[in-house]
Amino acid sequence: MDTIIDVKNVSKSFKVYMDKGNQLKERALFWKRNRYEERQVLKDISFQVERGEALGLIGKNGCGKSTTLKLLSKIIYPDSGNIEIKGRVSSLLELGAGFHPDMSGRENIYTNASIYGLTKKEIDERMDDIVAFSELEEFLDNPVRTYSSGMYMRLAFSVAINVDADILLVDEILAVGDSNFQKKCYSRMKELKTEGVTIILVTHSGETISKFCNKAIWINEGEILADGPAKDVVAQYQQYMDDQQMQQLLKEEKRQKLLKKEQDEKFQKEYAVDTSGIPTPDEIRKALAEARIDITQNHFGLEYIQIEDAVIKNGKGEETTVFKNGDSFELEIYYKVNRPLEQYVFGMGFYTQDKEWIFGNNTQIDRIEIPHTKMNGVVKFRIPNLPLLEGTYLLNVSIVNEDGVPLDFYHCYCKIQVVSSDRSIGVCSIPHEWIVE
Amino acid sequence: MKALRELYDYREMISGLVRRDLRGRYKGSVLGFLWTFINPLLQLLVYTMVFSVIMKNGIEKYYIFLFVALVPWMFFSTSIAGGSTSVLHSESMVKKIYFPREVLPISYVTSSFVNMILCLLVVFAVLIISGFGVSLKALLFLPIVMIVEYLLALGFTLMSSALTVYFRDLAYILNIVTMAWQYLTPVIYSVDQVPDEFKWVMQWNPMTSVIVAYRDILYYKQVPHMSTLIMATVLGIFFVVIGYIVFRALQKGFAEEM
Repeated sequence: MDTIIDVKNVSKSFKVYMDKGNQLKERALFWKRNRYEERQVLKDISFQVERGEALGLIGKNGCGKSTTLKLLSKIIYPDSGNIEIKGRVSSLLELGAGFHPDMSGRENIYTNASIYGLTKKEIDERMDDIVAFSELEEFLDNPVRTYSSGMYMRLAFSVAINVDADILLVDEILAVGDSNFQKKCYSRMKELKTEGVTIILVTHSGETISKFCNKAIWINEGEILADGPAKDVVAQYQQYMDDQQMQQLLKEEKRQKLLKKEQDEKFQKEYAVDTSGIPTPDEIRKALAEARIDITQNHFGLEYIQIEDAVIKNGKGEETTVFKNGDSFELEIYYKVNRPLEQYVFGMGFYTQDKEWIFGNNTQIDRIEIPHTKMNGVVKFRIPNLPLLEGTYLLNVSIVNEDGVPLDFYHCYCKIQVVSSDRSIGVCSIPHEWIVE
Repeated sequence: MKALRELYDYREMISGLVRRDLRGRYKGSVLGFLWTFINPLLQLLVYTMVFSVIMKNGIEKYYIFLFVALVPWMFFSTSIAGGSTSVLHSESMVKKIYFPREVLPISYVTSSFVNMILCLLVVFAVLIISGFGVSLKALLFLPIVMIVEYLLALGFTLMSSALTVYFRDLAYILNIVTMAWQYLTPVIYSVDQVPDEFKWVMQWNPMTSVIVAYRDILYYKQVPHMSTLIMATVLGIFFVVIGYIVFRALQKGFAEEM
């Protein structure tokens, strides 16, 4: 194989100035002001790219992948280490460099292409290809300022991709432009790939990389964490990102909990327990009519029995509202009886954010009888493998009597967040596999 | 060598930038040209008033003596002072795309050079119409002197444009420096008028031999002294090499400094 890019032990730091003076006067007079922090963006990275490969650089924001691309395109230079590149580089980092709004599309093609180092003769040779690809024949002699942003990008991309580069550097900027043109761009890039052009693509979307690249490098905090076949690297990266998201959600939840606890302490109310005789169904119906219960409210009910607390736990028994798909989900409903009834029905359910039912169940459906025995207690509900797909769901918790009269009913007790490694579409994960013969 | 080869590959970009600059300068054709010409013309008027009417200095046809030196000097001084921001003002390009950064000062100096050629045409018109005349034999040496001055201007502009990225106020400082420099160069006077104890200033000033050569050719209508020509050529090459080395060293940090 033929190594076209060789990056050896490259490090790069940026100076972050507290208060930068870039005047001679300031530097001379206030030299103390020029304090700065070194921020190391790339730490001793090395990799190689073979001719004709499509390499994806993946990583979260600020990981150093764009810096790597800038180093490869020689906009900035490494502090230490060495980068060797054989051949002409065309970068789609910044499309339309040097475009002048008052000049016509045709003139701008000349200017722009000349920045890629093409001579007039070379540009003339490529003119037809560029124009054909941009689909802008009829607007070519209009000034660029009259173009829509989509047309602008189309013209710029057409130039950049027709430079006949050996190496094409692409940043995720490609997301602009209408989807048809985007498809065209990708198919053109695929064509170039088969023609032996080396392509380096920077993105934080794993999908794009697994679709387009055969090799990928995962950069995290300036270090290469994985380098290998695109699929493997993307899988590792996604696993990591899921974990990160989980951490983030847990952190947020902890903060919310603390806040809630403070509020609860402020507004805690005492309820007196009434232990008079068990009401007849008629009495309940009457009470229901008098109470004028509005079931469109989030929380309603006769409050003969009250949900004191509903605790949600994961498989490890930790209290949380953030779950991984496949985790165990446990709901503990703590109740307090105000007026004893013969029997209680405990229920729960999941809604989507648009209030669509996903799942609902109660003790009556499952033929479990819960007669009155004590004034307070707990009922637990468990799902061993939570099958929900990624998203936010509303948890419904309720206690009714055997006729369905609401005693304490929460449409949405709280929100549940689910992170899923199954990227299927919908709300529910169903075990599956594809068999290709 | 590889870098020079690459610069050659970027000739279309240089000529494109020069064309764009000139087009901007001469927009509206005749009027545009007049506008860029009005500055040297005004200076010519003022100096002529002062030195041949008020403080008579005894130089014959002083306005021609001055004119043939003022035009090349203006090319040199606008190159280094104006060209100092040539990189800085292309910030958006420098930060986002690769090209040999030398392209920017080179195109600035080149477009100023084209401008000087147009001004020299006016000088010729004055020489012929006023009946002062030209010597064709001496004129053969004019292109050499012009090329040498181009190299000298380029050398200084490479330095000034690179340093201005790091020290923004250099652009203002250079305006003052070039003004002072003009008085240290035999533009409004001749070298003979300089007292002996200050002759060393003339010798150390790289622009002296260039201006002297222009004046030999156009005012005295004679072939410049070989020593003047050699001196000018050596200095021109020396400064363009120095300028290039300085620029190369500083250009690596451009994108980060901006």
